Amino acid sequence: MLRAALKGMAARKARLALTSLAVVLGSAFIAAALVLTASIQATVDALNAESFAGSDVLVQPVAPESRGDSLIQQGVSAETLANVEATEGVERIGLTVSGTISAIGDNGKVVGGLAPTMAANWADEAHDRELRDGRAPEADGEVAVSAKFAADSGLGLGETVTAYTPTTDQTAYEIVGVYGYSGGRDSISGGTEITFTTAEAQRLLFDGEDAYSALAIQAAPGTDADDLAAALEPVVGAESQVRTWEDYNAEATAQSAELTGLVGNFLLGFGLIAVFVSVFLIANTFSIVIAGRLKEIAMMRAIGAGRGQVVRSILAEALILGTVAAVVGAAVGVAGGAGLTAAIANSFLDAGQVSVAVPPTAILAALAVGIGVTVLAALVPAVRASKVPPVEAMRAAAKADRPITGITVTGTIVTLAGGAAMALGLTHNLGGDKADLAGTAVGAGLVFVGVTMLTAWLSKPLVGALGRLWSWNFAGKLGRRNAGRNPRRTAVTASALMIGVTLVTATATLLTSVKASIEDYFGEAVKAELFVTGPAVSELPASFDPAVMDDIRAIDDVEAAVEVYYDIADIDGTEQYVNTTTDFGGIVDLFGGEIADGGTGALADDEIAVNQSAADELGVGIGDTVNATFSRGTEAHEFTVSAILADNENTDGWYVSPAYVEEFYTTKPMMALVDVADGADIDAVTAAVDDALAGEPEVSAQNHEEFVAEVTVFFDFAIIAIQLLLGLAMIVAVIGVVNTLILSVLERTRELGMLRAIGMTRGQTVRMVIVESVTIALFGAVLGIAVGLGLGWALQNALADSGVDVFAVPVTLIAGYLAAAVLVGLLAAIAPAARAAKTNILGAIAYE
Amino acid sequence: MPLSTPHAPQRTPGLQQQHSRAAVTATGLWRAYGSGEAQVVALRDVSVAFASGQFTAIMGPSGSGKSTLMHCLAGLDTTDRGTVDIGGTVITGLGDKALTKLRRDKIGFIFQQFNLLPTLTAEENILLPASIASAKADPAWISQIIRTLDLQERLSHKPTELSGGQQQRVACARALATRPEVVFADEPTGNLDTRSSGEVLGFLRKSVDDFGQTIVMVTHDPSAAAYADRVVFLADGQIVRDLPNPTADDVIDTMRGFETRVPLAGEAA
Repeated sequence: MLRAALKGMAARKARLALTSLAVVLGSAFIAAALVLTASIQATVDALNAESFAGSDVLVQPVAPESRGDSLIQQGVSAETLANVEATEGVERIGLTVSGTISAIGDNGKVVGGLAPTMAANWADEAHDRELRDGRAPEADGEVAVSAKFAADSGLGLGETVTAYTPTTDQTAYEIVGVYGYSGGRDSISGGTEITFTTAEAQRLLFDGEDAYSALAIQAAPGTDADDLAAALEPVVGAESQVRTWEDYNAEATAQSAELTGLVGNFLLGFGLIAVFVSVFLIANTFSIVIAGRLKEIAMMRAIGAGRGQVVRSILAEALILGTVAAVVGAAVGVAGGAGLTAAIANSFLDAGQVSVAVPPTAILAALAVGIGVTVLAALVPAVRASKVPPVEAMRAAAKADRPITGITVTGTIVTLAGGAAMALGLTHNLGGDKADLAGTAVGAGLVFVGVTMLTAWLSKPLVGALGRLWSWNFAGKLGRRNAGRNPRRTAVTASALMIGVTLVTATATLLTSVKASIEDYFGEAVKAELFVTGPAVSELPASFDPAVMDDIRAIDDVEAAVEVYYDIADIDGTEQYVNTTTDFGGIVDLFGGEIADGGTGALADDEIAVNQSAADELGVGIGDTVNATFSRGTEAHEFTVSAILADNENTDGWYVSPAYVEEFYTTKPMMALVDVADGADIDAVTAAVDDALAGEPEVSAQNHEEFVAEVTVFFDFAIIAIQLLLGLAMIVAVIGVVNTLILSVLERTRELGMLRAIGMTRGQTVRMVIVESVTIALFGAVLGIAVGLGLGWALQNALADSGVDVFAVPVTLIAGYLAAAVLVGLLAAIAPAARAAKTNILGAIAYE
Repeated sequence: MPLSTPHAPQRTPGLQQQHSRAAVTATGLWRAYGSGEAQVVALRDVSVAFASGQFTAIMGPSGSGKSTLMHCLAGLDTTDRGTVDIGGTVITGLGDKALTKLRRDKIGFIFQQFNLLPTLTAEENILLPASIASAKADPAWISQIIRTLDLQERLSHKPTELSGGQQQRVACARALATRPEVVFADEPTGNLDTRSSGEVLGFLRKSVDDFGQTIVMVTHDPSAAAYADRVVFLADGQIVRDLPNPTADDVIDTMRGFETRVPLAGEAA
């Protein structure tokens, strides 16, 4: 039987190659994801190992316990340094002062996007810097910059760069040197860096205190790092901790592993979806191949092959196909993963040297998934084939399609069950918010599966209706009829596209609805027309000089302008978001909030206001007292709760009087709200506010639309990411459609020959196949869009209480999906249409 | 070998005289397949004319070249040498586009396997050639054919809902729908029972007699050939006998002559 399977496969090379492409794709994604993760990890590890290389023991500030504290640099004190110097076994100490800083480039904007510019003292030994031009900074007004900083800022040797931190004013420095790093690199992991004298770095980062970010200690010859660390432990202050370099490096490695793991999981997700979709494709191909071989199988049964043998021969075929495809996929994946690593390492990490790691799990997982999926997908068709009675061999091939009643009934039940679960969840009948949300999600999943099962049944009316789009010519009409000819086959083929389109449509619909809900809220509730704010995506929060507020208030048509300061503070032992403003009542009013209880809109120095749910969280009410310590504060202050705000995402948090601004991490306001007079020219006011902000590089005036766009920028990233997913599903879908069409063309050779004989031109033949192809693809897309919209709607409703109260349809994206489906149809039609056009008339109409 | 059919056709005397113009003319056709040792010459210098309004049967044993001859005449196969003229157009040497258009406009086909499109109704199948040409079929003519073939009740049926005889009648209607210069029928009764065969052949006969249709039919059934005005016998790629006004018995006798392997040259002479 094995030989029969092999020979059978040899006879259908083209179709098998197409099918295996789907398996190859899935396996490749999985292998690539694992290789990429391991390789990036290896590359990052190598980078980590460079940091403080050559040191034996590190003394660093104790890692802060809460996020609020982490905003403030705690340094290793001068006293600790003195104690360390006096310890036996300490050969040398490298002193590091480093942290993040804002620097303004030649375009007036802050340098660095997602990654902030780092500041360090030139003497720092954490990195191996190599001066390329000029010299090291010797005076406090001098700096050396990394080559990447020079490139990104547009500033070079001899020019002046302005830099500052949240606690210091803008200061101009002369660039006296430009440097790179060991290995000829321009940056460490793609970041920008400025180096100062140690004293200036301390002024910027530690408020001028004689403190350090790290002491990198080399042990005297013969002194063991562990022993030295143990000896240092008692002499360092409570603010510092001692670690051997080995421990430090291990910790850094573990931290980066977490991040690379995330990226890897994302890719693995793509791989699994490709695999999932390819299950349909493989099952379809095997069904098709087996349908064409029913006579042969019946003959084998007639001459004595058992049912088990039939199943085994088909599974053997699947095993061979799966193995070949999985091996190719694993190889492609390993190569792709390595290439991707190099691309990422060079463009983002500036790693200089790329380490490619191929973990055995990558290859094993790719093989297991590829082979497993293929065999699994072939199982159902194989078992069905074994049920062919031997007498079929003697009968003329029965072309009747298997009834779709069974799957239609099952699909209906599953869809209805899912719909019921969704309805119960949406109407809060499942007891508890979590149960409701879970019920809705499970219901949505069931509906998805159910509709997939119903595709065969749906294909009859839908394909006919869609095909009518093409009926302006006769070839199109024939193509449309052909697409509806084999509902089961059309359905499975279209499913591949449907799954992808459903997922992206549902996600895009939900995200668009969230965005629309936010926009809606801003349009209705927020009084302020303009926002002075920086980009949402940046490491350091944008801030500005409060003095500009007077200039803004002086602008014609500006009725009110209020600035806001933010901090993360410790309140009664919990981490809390704290605001302050010169006009508490004004900010609540402009942001569309409401003081629900107590308060007059002003806060005395010992009063604090908070929104309802945050108050509930701490169990406090009006008149209760809380203790708050701000980021830069050294001691707790006692406040009495004087007002409770109604919950509102824009005004949630704690409010104190502006008296405490100096204890905030950022001592400058980070946002301002501007109320423009009714009927005023918003654009003119925006321009005037921007003029007032000319000296503030980090912020700009934004109207509602711009502000909402800034707030929701992450959604745009998410939407782009899911479009990639669609792209992947599309590739698999193209393969599926090609496969089905080639088969149809082969099956209809006689018909094509007749049509050509009675005068159908090659062009008409090509059009006929294209219409069939595009109709199948559009069918999948339309179904996917419909189900996706339904699921998106259900999810939006489920989240309505969380503020997603507007249902919005991503019209442009959906139009894009339809266009993509047409593209899939066109691409898939190329080979089958060419084949159909080349039909040998004589061969096709010759007698059997 | 089937015996002659009891309802032998009645021929209108003098018809051939009325239609002396040739609808299809082949001159010096050569066609060979393969090359070297494996070469098979299917047609050797075949010259034959088919008069307009005449029903001609082409007969011959398997491998005699009768199908090749028909394919070359219909522009489905290329020739190595010689010319084919259909209704005044020399088709040999035409490109695919021109040939396709010619087949569409001037030629009708009837196949052994019926070859109806399963997705179309009987009526749509009949109108298929006109549809392909984006032309409007002559409704009076179409309804006349449909009436003659007794298909009025079957027009909305799909081919799978029709018997073999009904399917072949639909195929006949399709072949005649565009009033082609010539209809080529390739074993039209090969898949039919005796009764259905009689109906189909009777219609072909009638279309020649009543509508002046030109028909060239390849068959190996002597009783089918007896419906024709003329039988052309092929053997080894050459025309060996040209029999006017045949009866089934004449045809059987002639074919027996081949089976006894009388030297071909002698037979032809």
